[in-house]
Amino acid sequence: MIKITNLEKFYRTEEVETIALNKLSIEIATGEFVAIMGPSGCGKSTLLNILGMLDDPDEGSYIFNEIEVAHFTERKRADLRKHNIGFVFQSFNLIDELTVFENVELPLIYTGVPASERVKRVEEVLDKMQIMHRRNHYPQQLSGGQQQRVAIARAVVNKPKLILADEPTGNLDSTNGNDVMELLTDLNEQGTTIIMVTHSEHDARYSHRIIRLLDGQAVVENIMV
Amino acid sequence: MIKNYIKTAYRSLRKNRGFTTINIMGLALGLATCLLIVLYVADELSYDRYNDKASRIYRVNEDLKLGDNAVKYAVCMAPLAKTLIAEYPFVENATRLKNAGTSHVKKGTLNISENRVAFADPSLFSVFTLPMINGNAASALVEPNSVVITETTAQKYFNSTNVVGKTLLFNDNTLCKVTGVIKDVPRQSHFNFDFFISMSSFPDSRSTEWLRSDYNTYVLLKDKSYAKQLEASFPALLEKFSGAQMKAQLNLSYAEFEKQGSFFRLNLIPLTDIHLKSNISGELSANGTTQYVYIFLLIAVFILLIACINFMNLSTARSANRAREVGVRKVLGSARKHLIAQFLTESVLVTIISTVLAFVIALFLLPLFNQLSGKELAINASSMVWIVPALVAIALFVGVLSGSYPAFYLSAFQPVDVLKGKLATGFKGSRLRSFFVVFQFSISIFLIIGTLVIYNQLNYIQSKNLGYNRSQVLVVKNVFELNGQAKLFKQKVKELPGVINATMTGFLPTSGWKNTAIYFRDASINEKTSLFPQSWQIDEDYIGTLGMKMAAGRNFSKDMATDSDGVMINEAAAKFLGFKDPVNSVIYKATDSKHDLAHTKQYRVLGVVKDFNFNSLHENVSPVVMTLAENNGALSIRLNTNNLSQLMSQINAVWKDVNPNVQINYSFMDQDFDATYRTEQRTGQIFIIFTALAIIIACLGLFGLAAYAAEQRTKEIGIRKVLGASVAAIAGMLSKDFVKLVGISILIASPLAWYAMNKWLQDFAYRINIQWWVLALAGIAALLIAVVTVSFQSIKAAVANPVDSLKNE
Repeated sequence: MIKITNLEKFYRTEEVETIALNKLSIEIATGEFVAIMGPSGCGKSTLLNILGMLDDPDEGSYIFNEIEVAHFTERKRADLRKHNIGFVFQSFNLIDELTVFENVELPLIYTGVPASERVKRVEEVLDKMQIMHRRNHYPQQLSGGQQQRVAIARAVVNKPKLILADEPTGNLDSTNGNDVMELLTDLNEQGTTIIMVTHSEHDARYSHRIIRLLDGQAVVENIMV
Repeated sequence: MIKNYIKTAYRSLRKNRGFTTINIMGLALGLATCLLIVLYVADELSYDRYNDKASRIYRVNEDLKLGDNAVKYAVCMAPLAKTLIAEYPFVENATRLKNAGTSHVKKGTLNISENRVAFADPSLFSVFTLPMINGNAASALVEPNSVVITETTAQKYFNSTNVVGKTLLFNDNTLCKVTGVIKDVPRQSHFNFDFFISMSSFPDSRSTEWLRSDYNTYVLLKDKSYAKQLEASFPALLEKFSGAQMKAQLNLSYAEFEKQGSFFRLNLIPLTDIHLKSNISGELSANGTTQYVYIFLLIAVFILLIACINFMNLSTARSANRAREVGVRKVLGSARKHLIAQFLTESVLVTIISTVLAFVIALFLLPLFNQLSGKELAINASSMVWIVPALVAIALFVGVLSGSYPAFYLSAFQPVDVLKGKLATGFKGSRLRSFFVVFQFSISIFLIIGTLVIYNQLNYIQSKNLGYNRSQVLVVKNVFELNGQAKLFKQKVKELPGVINATMTGFLPTSGWKNTAIYFRDASINEKTSLFPQSWQIDEDYIGTLGMKMAAGRNFSKDMATDSDGVMINEAAAKFLGFKDPVNSVIYKATDSKHDLAHTKQYRVLGVVKDFNFNSLHENVSPVVMTLAENNGALSIRLNTNNLSQLMSQINAVWKDVNPNVQINYSFMDQDFDATYRTEQRTGQIFIIFTALAIIIACLGLFGLAAYAAEQRTKEIGIRKVLGASVAAIAGMLSKDFVKLVGISILIASPLAWYAMNKWLQDFAYRINIQWWVLALAGIAALLIAVVTVSFQSIKAAVANPVDSLKNE
C-alpha cells in the first residue's frame, strides 16, 4: 500500500539545517499494523505527517496505492487524503465549538455525503465506539478517554483504508489507553491498515511490526509474533 | 529604563513586520489625508483675513423686492459710501470697488486682454491691507486716470516694479498714469484685481441716484460693536436719501412702496464671511460654500476615525498573543507599571513613526492635491506652527489610547492564568472589535453611496438636454473691440466653408452677461404683476445657431421691418405672464425708472422659445425676454468641419483682417459650460479620491483583522484540513464572520446615506433620483472589497500545509 524510497526532509532556519528524515526507505502492505518508535527528534512525527500527506518531502519518492504523491499539490493531496486516510492525534484535536456529533460528521461533510446518510453513519460509528449517549456534548465536557474515542470515531467514519495514529494513548491513563488500543486492533482486524507512532513499548506490542528510527533513519525492524 | 522599553518595542515591532507595516501605513495614510483636508479647509477659512482690520470691515448688501421678484445684491448705490462717512461718526471709512470687466491694455503694439480690472476709491488702501511697494497710498487713486497695479503686472508690462509715473493705455482710448505698485492681492481674497483705476476716472461714480445699485461698498467701523447699530439705522437712512427720488420716479412714498409688498433694504456682511457665506448677484468673484467645507471636514474626521480604529483594533488584537510574554515577565518579577510603560512606549513609537510618515506623504501628495482642488496650498513656516503641535497631539492621543488596552488589561492578569493559556481569547470574543468593524464599514459604505450619487448627478448635468446645443460652437468674445466692424466680421465668418451659422450677441446661455429689465403685462403698469426677466438683445440667427426650439410663434426675421418692436420670450416668461395664447399679445417695457404708461414701450410677442438653461442647474429656468437689437458682445459660430485648425486659422485671419491691433479671444461653448461646474466637478473628484482612501484604510484594517482571526483559528483550520476541508470551505468559514459585520454596516449606512445625499440633491433644481441600484451597488462593492481582503488571508491560511497549523501544539 505504501512504498517510500530515499525519502528526505530538512528543516531550515536562518543558520542551521536539521535533517529530519535521511534517505529513509520503508514499505508497508495493506492490512498491516505498524508501530514507529524512537527517541524524541528522531523524525517519527515528520514521517507520519508525510505518510498522511499533511506535509511534503524534500527528496525521494512516496508511492501511495501505486500513485506517486511526493510532489502532489496540496489540493490533490487533500483530495486523496480525505477519501483514504483517517487521523488520530495525541491531543485529540477536536474542535471545541462543535458537539461530538458535529465533530464526527465533519469528514462526511467534506467528502460530500448527503445529510441523511451522514446521520446514519455518524450514529453507527458513535454506537460502535460506545459514546452515543454523549452525542450532543462538547469536547471539553468529556474525559480524555471519551475524547479520544470521539477522535477515533471521526477518523473511521469515512471508512478510510489507512489510519495514522500519533501517540494515541499519550494523554490517557492506562485503562483508557488499553481501550483505545483494543479499538485500533479491532479496526485492523476488519482490514484497515494502521500506522502508529508511539513511545510506549506496551502499545507497540499490539502491532505486527515495529520500525525503530534514529536520526531520520530506520535502524531496526522487529517483527512481532 | 526608557531605553530598554524602546529596544523591546522596536524588536517586537520588527518581529511582526507585517502587522507593523499595516498598522503604520494605515495610520500614516489616514493622517496624511486629514492633513491635506485640513490645509484645504484652513485655506478656505482664511479668506480676507490678511486684512489687518478684517474684523471691522463689512460689505453693504442690498435686498430688493419688486412685486414678486426678490433679488439680493452684493452692490449698492453710488452715493452710499460717501453718505455713511458723513452721517455716522463711528464709521471710520468706506470705500467702493467697481468691476470694470474685460479691458485691453496696450503693450507695445499688442492689446492684451485683462479681466482683473477695477475702479477703486482712494480710501481703498485705508480699508484693505494692500501694501504699496512704490507710490503714495494716500494719494495714488485721487486723480482721474490714475492706476495702481500689482507687482506681477508691473513686471509683465514694464519688467520692473519701479514704474510710478509711467503710463498704460486702456482700450485704445484711455491713458492712465501709474501712481502706485502694490504687492499682489493675496489669493485668499474675495476680490483679485491686477489694475485699480481711480474711481474719479469713471463719471458714473459721482451719480447721486439712490434707486440704482452698481458699486461694491465696504465700510470700516471704529469698532465692530457698531455693526448692529448701523444696520438698524439703514431703513431711516434710505428713507431720508431715497425718499424724494422715489416720489419723483415712482410717485410713491417709501411707506407706500413697502405697503405694496416691495422693499429695498440694506444689510451688512462681515468681510471674512463673504467667501464662504455669500453667493449673490454682483459678487467680485466666484465664492466657495460653507457646505463643502463642512463636508470635507466631516470626511477628514471620518478618515481619521477609521485610521485610529484600525490602529487600536490591530494593536489590541495583537495583544492577546503577548499574554504569554506578560506572564513570563511577571514571573520574572516585572512590576505592573513597567509592563504598562512598555506597552505604551510601543504604541506611541508606532504612532510617532506614522505621523512622520504622514507628513512626508502629505508633502508628496500636495502638488497633486493642488492640481485637483485648484488651490495653491503649501506647507510653510506659518502652517507648520499649527501642523506640528496638532500632529504631535494626535500621535500621543492615538498612541496612548490604543496602547492602553494591552497595557492595563493584560498587565492585570495573574501570571499563572496567562501561562496556562487561559487567555486565548478568540476573535469572536471581542464585541468591541466587531462594533469597530461595523463602524468603519458603515462610513465606507456611506462614502461609496455619496460618491456614486455625486458622480451620477455631475454626469446628469453634463448630459442633460439644456434646450440648446453647446457642442461645435466657437465663441469669439468682445467683438465690440472691432468698433464699427463687428457686422463685417460676422458677414465674413459666415462665408467661410465649415461655418453653418453665426449669431452676434454677448447674451449666451454660457456667458456671464446678464441684464434685467422691468416689463408689465398690461397697460395698467401695475408693479405687482410686473415681470423682472432677463432682457437680452439678440439677432435673427440666435435661435438657429444655438439650436434652440420654438414652442409657438416664430423667430425674428430680417425681412420683417417691424420685428424690432417684437420680442421673443421663453416658456418660463410665458408662464409667468399667464397669457392663454402668448403669441401676438402685447407687453410693456419700462424705458426709465418712472413707472407709468408714458414711460414705457410696447412690444408684441412674436414667438415663445422652449426653455433653455442659462443659470447653473442649481436654479430653475427664469423668464427671458429677447429683443432684436445689435449687441456686439460675442460672435457665436456653429461649426461643421473635419479640419478645425484650418477653420480656426481662417477665422483668425478674418479677425486680423478686420482689426490687426486687437488680439482675438475665443473659447468653445462646451468648455464655458464646463467651467460653470468646475467647483462641483472638483469637489466630486476630491470626494471620490477621499472615498477611495477611506476604503483603502478600512481595508487595511480588515486585512489585519482577518490575518489575526486566521492566526487565532490556525489550529481549527489545521484540524478541518486534516479532515478533508477544501480551500474554499476554509476561506468561506473565515470570511463568514466579516461578511456578517459588513452586512450589518450596509443596513446602517444605506438609509443614512440615502437621506444625506437626498438633502444634497435638493440644492439642484435639476437633479437625479437616487436609484435603488446605487444602494445595492455600494453594498455589493463593500461586500466584495471585504471578501477579497479577507479571502486573501483566509486562502493563505487554507493552502498552507496542515502540519504547519498543527505543529504549534
